[in-house]
Amino acid sequence: MDNNKTPLIEVRNLNLSFGSFHALKNIDLKLYGGELIGLVGDNGAGKTTLINVMSGVYAPTSGEVCFAGRKVEKFHPKQAIEFGIETIQQSVGLCDNLSIARNFFLGREPVKRILGIPFLDFKAMRKASNDVVHTFGLRDNVSVDDEVATLSGGERQSVKIGRAVAFKNRVIIMDEPTNHLSVREREHVNELAQQLKEQGLLVIYITHDVYQVHRLADRVVIMENGAKVADVRKDEMSADDLEQIIRDGGRNCTDAA
Amino acid sequence: MTATTTTHGPADSVVIRTRRSLMRGLVHYRETIAVLVALVLTLVFAVTTNGVFLNHANMVSVTHVTAVLAIIAIGQSLVICAGEIDISVGSIFAMGAMTFLALAPEFGVFAAVGTALLVGFMIGAFNGYLVAYLGIPSLIITLSSLFIFRGIAYMLVQDGALRIPLAERLAMDGYLAFGSGTFFGFNNSVLWMLAFMVVLHLVMFTMPFGNRLLAVGGDAKSATSRGVRVRRVKLTAFIVVGLCAAFAGILEANKVGYADGTTGRLMELEAIAACVVGGCALAGGRMSIIGTIAGAFILASIQSYLVITGTTPQLYLVVMATFVICAALLDARVRQWALRLR
Repeated sequence: MDNNKTPLIEVRNLNLSFGSFHALKNIDLKLYGGELIGLVGDNGAGKTTLINVMSGVYAPTSGEVCFAGRKVEKFHPKQAIEFGIETIQQSVGLCDNLSIARNFFLGREPVKRILGIPFLDFKAMRKASNDVVHTFGLRDNVSVDDEVATLSGGERQSVKIGRAVAFKNRVIIMDEPTNHLSVREREHVNELAQQLKEQGLLVIYITHDVYQVHRLADRVVIMENGAKVADVRKDEMSADDLEQIIRDGGRNCTDAA
Repeated sequence: MTATTTTHGPADSVVIRTRRSLMRGLVHYRETIAVLVALVLTLVFAVTTNGVFLNHANMVSVTHVTAVLAIIAIGQSLVICAGEIDISVGSIFAMGAMTFLALAPEFGVFAAVGTALLVGFMIGAFNGYLVAYLGIPSLIITLSSLFIFRGIAYMLVQDGALRIPLAERLAMDGYLAFGSGTFFGFNNSVLWMLAFMVVLHLVMFTMPFGNRLLAVGGDAKSATSRGVRVRRVKLTAFIVVGLCAAFAGILEANKVGYADGTTGRLMELEAIAACVVGGCALAGGRMSIIGTIAGAFILASIQSYLVITGTTPQLYLVVMATFVICAALLDARVRQWALRLR
């Protein structure tokens, strides 16, 4: 990795507390474009909390976050989305009561102005979402006018990933993207993650599965109890070593970072 | 990835297609029912009253009551769609009516309308701010507003009332434009209702704001993750209902030229009932403006029917409640049934 470049996302000395609960502890992290980062750790290790800070859902208690060298002053998902960070999460991202097309463009709806009044451009919404969603593996009999409530878990994931790819993003965060997916769907998602990385995007891939991430990622960051316990390039360590670190709760690897 | 679909044979896909079109239909299903019920009731009421229900004088009254109630209910449907509720609309209605009546003789009709709308805006913003930004449940906040502004309404008139005599009303510039003027023999409050209907229907279903409001009510977390400013959207919904309720108050005050401390009492519940009958889900994310108007018409018709037939008018509340319960039951049943077809 060319460390002279400006990191796309840099986190410095980040702390986050919810009351007395210290959810993130002194996290330092530099992430670059064209990297596929595996973020692993046990349940409750703070992976999702960390990406929630990056995607603007939580504001840190102390420390700073920089996007392409510029310090983030206000934490709101809108800012993160405008910078080009797209987060694909397990349980959020799609509103069941809206159609696929409406979900696809939620928050950044294309408009056609009639007398200066912004009306939704339904034709553009249908066309763009239809093209993308069907290349990402939705069955032919699914219409983009269908409510998301009628989709299966895999179909929902396809819509989210398709959406992430369709908008010109710089960072794609995938939070457990292959949960609830069939083997074939899982391979498809992993291939997509690789492709996105090769296009120069920063892909952050969150999972429990150390072996999967070791195959996929360029660099693996391990978290434990809200702290970063390891940050290694894939060729520096085997999957078994990584698993050992997680099992030890990060006790024997202070020098690994 | 098409290979992942092999688990569904041709027979399955027929079922799935049926289910999908059902779900697609379900969005419009409730408002269709509400409109049909409104039509059937009109027919039944006309027949059982030997046509009295449908005669001109009665229809003028029913449509005016519908218009005033519908304008509040449309505003309410936006708040309900956001997953909140505003039970203070009856008091906002009273404040709108009183502000209008108090100011019109001295400052003119338009200044009075503007100020009354400003009052509605302020109360809506007050409710919306406390709910959206301070995170207090809307039921508690708007219950407090209901009492606060009802109390202020009583205090403003003491034991008396605000009134403008008919002769004085007719002499005011622009007075007829806000409810008491007529249009093909009907009160022009009906025109105002149609204007609110068209504008808010377009806003809700063909503009970005509507898409976001539906999203906020359907799944606030997902909406947030897409960059929707949930709190701002909710605040806006409360402001809209404040404006709607105050405007409805203006229309009513304009027509009768009178308001006292009890003006608009129970109207909050009628407005919610109209929404539920019209197909708005109290949990949020599902609403219909047209259905809500049909709901308001149903309630106004029942009221009128009970008066015509000389039945105890108090029965109205019981009948209204029955309709609400039926609507809620129907909604739950049909949704369950449609989802079971998966």
